[in-house]
Amino acid sequence: MANSATTPSAAEAELAVQARQAAESSTGYWAGVWKRVRRDPVTIFCASILLLMLLAIVFAPLIAPHDPYQGSMLRRLRAIGTPNYVLGTDELGRDMLTRLLYGGRLSWFMGITPVALAFVIGTVLGVLAGYTGGKTNMAIMRVTDVFYAFPSVLLAVAISGALGAGIMNAILALTLVFIPPIIRVAETVTTGVRNLDFVDAARASGANAFTIVRVHVLGNVLGPIFVYATSLISVSMILASGLSFLGLGTKPPEPEWGLMLNTLRTAIYVQPWVAVLPGACIFITSICFNLVSDGLRQAMDVKG
Amino acid sequence: MRLKKFLMAACLVALPVLGASVADAQGTLRIGMTAADIPLTNGQPDQGFEGNRFTGIPLFDSLTMWDLSAADKPSVVIPGLATEWAVDANDKTRWVFRLRRGVKFHDGSDFNADAVVWNVRKVLDREAPHYDPRQVGVTATRMPTLRRAEKIDDYTVALFTAEPDSLLPINLTNLFMASPTQWERLRAANPTAEATWNAFAREPSGTGPFRMTRFVPRERAEYARNDAYWTDKAKLDRIVILPIPEANARTAALLSNQVDWIEAPAPDAIPQLRQRGMVITSNAQPHVWPWQPCFAENSPLRDVRVRRAINLGIDREGLKTLLGGMMSVPVGTVPRGHPWFGNPSFNIRTDKAEARRLLAEAGYTPQRPLTLKVQISASGSGQMQPLPMNEFLQQDLKGIGVNVEFDVVEWNTLFANWRQGCTHAAARGAHATNVSFAAMDPFFAMVRFWDSKMAPPVSNNWGFFNDPRFDAMIAEARNAFEPAARDAALARLHAAGVDEALFIWIAHDVSPRAMSPRVRGYVQPQSWFVDLRLPYIQ
Amino acid sequence: MFFYLIRRIAYGIPIALAVGFVCFMLVQIAPGDPINAIVPPDAPGDVVEQVRRDYGLDKPLPVQFGLWLLKVVQGDLGRSLASGRPVWSDLSSAIGNTLMLATCASLLGFILGCLLGGLAGTFRGSWIDRAAVTLAVGGVSVPHYWLGMVMVVIFSVQLNWLPAMGAGPGGSADWAWDWEHIKHLVLPTVTLCVIPMGIVTRTVRGIVAEIMNQEFVTALRGKGLTRGGVFLHVVKNAAPTALAVMGLQLGYLMGGSILVETVFSWPGTGLLLNNAIFQRDLPVLQGTILVLAMFFVILNLLVDLMQTALDPRIKRG
Repeated sequence: MANSATTPSAAEAELAVQARQAAESSTGYWAGVWKRVRRDPVTIFCASILLLMLLAIVFAPLIAPHDPYQGSMLRRLRAIGTPNYVLGTDELGRDMLTRLLYGGRLSWFMGITPVALAFVIGTVLGVLAGYTGGKTNMAIMRVTDVFYAFPSVLLAVAISGALGAGIMNAILALTLVFIPPIIRVAETVTTGVRNLDFVDAARASGANAFTIVRVHVLGNVLGPIFVYATSLISVSMILASGLSFLGLGTKPPEPEWGLMLNTLRTAIYVQPWVAVLPGACIFITSICFNLVSDGLRQAMDVKG
Repeated sequence: MRLKKFLMAACLVALPVLGASVADAQGTLRIGMTAADIPLTNGQPDQGFEGNRFTGIPLFDSLTMWDLSAADKPSVVIPGLATEWAVDANDKTRWVFRLRRGVKFHDGSDFNADAVVWNVRKVLDREAPHYDPRQVGVTATRMPTLRRAEKIDDYTVALFTAEPDSLLPINLTNLFMASPTQWERLRAANPTAEATWNAFAREPSGTGPFRMTRFVPRERAEYARNDAYWTDKAKLDRIVILPIPEANARTAALLSNQVDWIEAPAPDAIPQLRQRGMVITSNAQPHVWPWQPCFAENSPLRDVRVRRAINLGIDREGLKTLLGGMMSVPVGTVPRGHPWFGNPSFNIRTDKAEARRLLAEAGYTPQRPLTLKVQISASGSGQMQPLPMNEFLQQDLKGIGVNVEFDVVEWNTLFANWRQGCTHAAARGAHATNVSFAAMDPFFAMVRFWDSKMAPPVSNNWGFFNDPRFDAMIAEARNAFEPAARDAALARLHAAGVDEALFIWIAHDVSPRAMSPRVRGYVQPQSWFVDLRLPYIQ
Repeated sequence: MFFYLIRRIAYGIPIALAVGFVCFMLVQIAPGDPINAIVPPDAPGDVVEQVRRDYGLDKPLPVQFGLWLLKVVQGDLGRSLASGRPVWSDLSSAIGNTLMLATCASLLGFILGCLLGGLAGTFRGSWIDRAAVTLAVGGVSVPHYWLGMVMVVIFSVQLNWLPAMGAGPGGSADWAWDWEHIKHLVLPTVTLCVIPMGIVTRTVRGIVAEIMNQEFVTALRGKGLTRGGVFLHVVKNAAPTALAVMGLQLGYLMGGSILVETVFSWPGTGLLLNNAIFQRDLPVLQGTILVLAMFFVILNLLVDLMQTALDPRIKRG
């Protein structure tokens, strides 16, 4: 799985630079970033696809043509393009389009929730470590190192394997996987910002630590950390559906892309194109998230 | 009389064998199993009957064995390592077995009465130095009345049961005879009995038609023909068995010529397999794929109306379509026309209106729907296609307002949980379990589920069913040593079980297999087992 | 250098201990009594109590961890619940198979990645660049269990070119580097290599583009330095980072091959882990995770040392 995104060593330095740039420049920085993103057709295209997908899965009950759970043995495994069943039917005769729409809800949920949770927890811990330094930093960063010693897939499989199957366990496992890299990035960028002149000035003027962090540090580090977190969503979605594919995530009959891919495996001889659809959905979503995140990162890099 | 029967059976086996052996057919047969690991090769296989099929019967023999030579008649018990047996007329708990002479284990030692006593002790005598708790689970439950063995002379043993039990000779097909000599030899090099059994599993020695030549854990086991077999020898030179739990991987392995024979091909792949020239075989099987209810205090399935409603709410024909026709529709544990079927008054069929009425009567309405939790496996011996099948049932039952939740566990776990009972933590609150089972002998088919003494941990009365009426009927059958009287008693028992809807009967397996056209001589008997002496590779 | 080595190793020891602790805790967080991870579910009650005492499971958690650690250090990872065999006996052969698969995949990914990344970096902005970047993003975005399935359908089932599963006609035990065996390795390797390919492409592209833009390269070129000279310079500067990325990828693939091994029934640690999860065979789960994580810790250390040795710019403090 795309482990790269959880290896921030190379990304860290870059992000620290960006954070410093963001901090040093005025509000014009973000306007510039936005301007550059707007000019990048790939990013805009991918973002539009993601937005469309999001709308489609949010409004699934309104636009889905059929019931996601109700099937019929008489019309199982129909081909793509069957009238009334545009994307065919699955192994229990349920409409694929409907299942994919509803399945997107869980897949997105299981992909984004761990990153969102890790973003919050990781930022808090990382900023704390970066700002306070000293023993707190030491304690937080050494624990982070331990989790770094596990390849991400292995850690996710280990935790959800030990806890047993279930959506909540899978989300818990993935959150634990993503907290350490976010802590590292947050710590690096915070350390970078902490020593800047205006933070020193604020400190000298007697502002308390909380205010400094809230006003000066968070405002400047959240952006880069957020961008880094978006690059994790793609990994998270692949991992989450991978867990479901292994039977560690969602349980039948809940529609979820990874699980659908699993249950449609045997249909690959009858309707190969229908059987690969859920995988294609995961692929498209994941590639779009990756490209959007790349675009954002590039736009924030003033040199580029 | 038994001897005569055996001679007839032996002739039936021998005739086609003699005919074919002229062609001197041979070769290596590679089999893709559904199990995730090689079933235990220590003599008492795990992994359900797939284990007996592939690491039991080919390597080991039992005192009594199944006749697997014909496809068109029910498989019956025939003499194996015992040539004849009878219950003691004065003491109905004492059986005398006469043993076959001149049989040798693969290590060259003699099979005799000492070996039988030793093999009974390995699972029943806790004081025995070679007692193996791991083998108890898969053995003792299949012969629950057997207590001990006693040597009378070198080729005669007495077996003792806890109570009179006419079913013992059928049960004994599950006690495989491992070589004590081989075990003692390995014991010298191993620190504990447990380690010795592990070593024995790597170098097993039985009396079977094949001996194991190679064992790669989790990957493969290889057998070579036992040229010193005591009756008709196998035609194949070698057999390779491979665990391939995933149905698609099995199909792909067969299509890309990595194996010659696969168990349970994915139904959806069958047209493709046929098109590529593969042979699909199937035959009626004494098998039940049920939901076995929990009768404990808080289980909704305690109520007979609910059990009947679920039985009526299932569209079995639809399920058959799902399986590409690879199942037969049950009307009880045994099919209509079977000597044990009897005259039940409850007719198992699909009648959703009646199902809804029964549910309403039991107090379940759309506002207060019934929710069932069922423990199921993802794949396993005799489990057919558990995930799609259960998902189908789930959807089907939604139609009568029943919500079904699944707890998916690995097959071995499901199987082990079966003996813990539905009140045990391992059941995780399930109201039913989806262990499929063989119904070829009355003990397996009915007694172990419906006898209150068979409640866990003794045997498979998972739901703790307890009804003195059933206990009495079972005792009656066990004491009927005349076959006709025994069958009549069993028919009454079966009819009562159907009327009480003691199972949710869902499907009978027809044991589909797919094999390469190069496999010849194969016979698919009406059994869970296969005689691997018969096929050969062209 | 020597002191750096010692210090780096000394730093690795608490990490290794902590990793061990996490693996130990895996069994503790699993639902149910940890004793169930040691004795089969059908063991009689007195046996369970005996084992509980033998394993010190009646003692406080830190003591238990100590006892467990002592056993692990002696190479005793416990016994599989499903097969009864010592965990290490199954694990040792599985590790070899996974290492072989992961090494092949990261090598292939490295070669392809360097090629694509080098081209993309050299011709930055051209269509070659765009194609290479697309491939790289595709590589890290594709759910590779799905890619594996698709490849089996195409290459094994439809075309019948390559086998769909397993590790050769004799299983992994008699592996040999002949075509009969290697063809079993092709599909899983290709499936697994797309991730390192994508990552190495991105890394190499970045480094190459940066070096090509550096003033002294432009200057060198101006002075009439040959293409070969520039190439050498680029390789010298890009190698440490690219090798480090690849080294880490090897570790990630070792731990992350579970899905691909499941799809191809490749008899490695991933398949072992998958079966252990389904059988709730916690000793096997714990042992496998521990060994893989330790492998990763050591690999990290080696990559670090190698990078220090190769790249003079990294100071050894």
